[in-house]
Amino acid sequence: MPYYQTWEEFARAAEKLYLTAPMKVRVVIKYRHCDGNLRIKVTDDAVAHTSLRSPCATPSVGWSGVKLAAIGLRTSGSLFSGVLNHSSPSGSPTDKSEFGGFQCLQYKTDQAQDVKKIEKLHGKLMRLMVSKESGAMETD
Amino acid sequence: MVLLENDSFLTELTRLFQKCRTSGSVAITLKKYDGRTKPVPRKGHPVNYEPADNKCLLRASDGKKKISTVVSSKEVIKFQMAYSNLLRAHMDGLKKKDKKSKSKKTKATQ
Repeated sequence: MPYYQTWEEFARAAEKLYLTAPMKVRVVIKYRHCDGNLRIKVTDDAVAHTSLRSPCATPSVGWSGVKLAAIGLRTSGSLFSGVLNHSSPSGSPTDKSEFGGFQCLQYKTDQAQDVKKIEKLHGKLMRLMVSKESGAMETD
Repeated sequence: MVLLENDSFLTELTRLFQKCRTSGSVAITLKKYDGRTKPVPRKGHPVNYEPADNKCLLRASDGKKKISTVVSSKEVIKFQMAYSNLLRAHMDGLKKKDKKSKSKKTKATQ
């Protein structure tokens, strides 16, 4: 799961991801005052299914990967996230399962100047979510 | 999960931030909400809800206590102003980038 290095890239990718899947995307902000850091994550939770029907050698890669991704972001989650992001199922070709894999964009910071940026992006996404479909593209 | 009104949510969120100043984290989640109040029906069952397009769901937690609220387009402007003030006021424990002589002095001594 990639941690973006620059705020601009993250903001652009986050908005793009939201516009592709508005109902699925969620935005998570985690603030730790004691450690002095702030993380923001934008994800669409789409699991990369290997196969649901055909008997496959690795049945539950997708599920375990998602769970680990949810819990252990910092430690060995990166190993599994590599598998998920590439979403190339080993073995049998899946006919109807979703190939896209999931997208999980993350940004972390310990700088006070990023609080305003994060809060602005959060507000922008909030306004996009409540605006009606016809006027979805809001230009600031 | 406690579902609150917008104002109560903001009050409780303030309390969460204050409680977590010494230890712990505050997690806030934002997601588009279509207004469904019943779980997604199984395949073959009729889907009988009308999707609303103008709401979002906000959740907050400190690991133990969970609160949530629904914001619709009518309230979003007012809510967002109060919410952003709240965030800015409480997320103040981060490093400030100062290019003043203080940092230069500390760098010189190192």
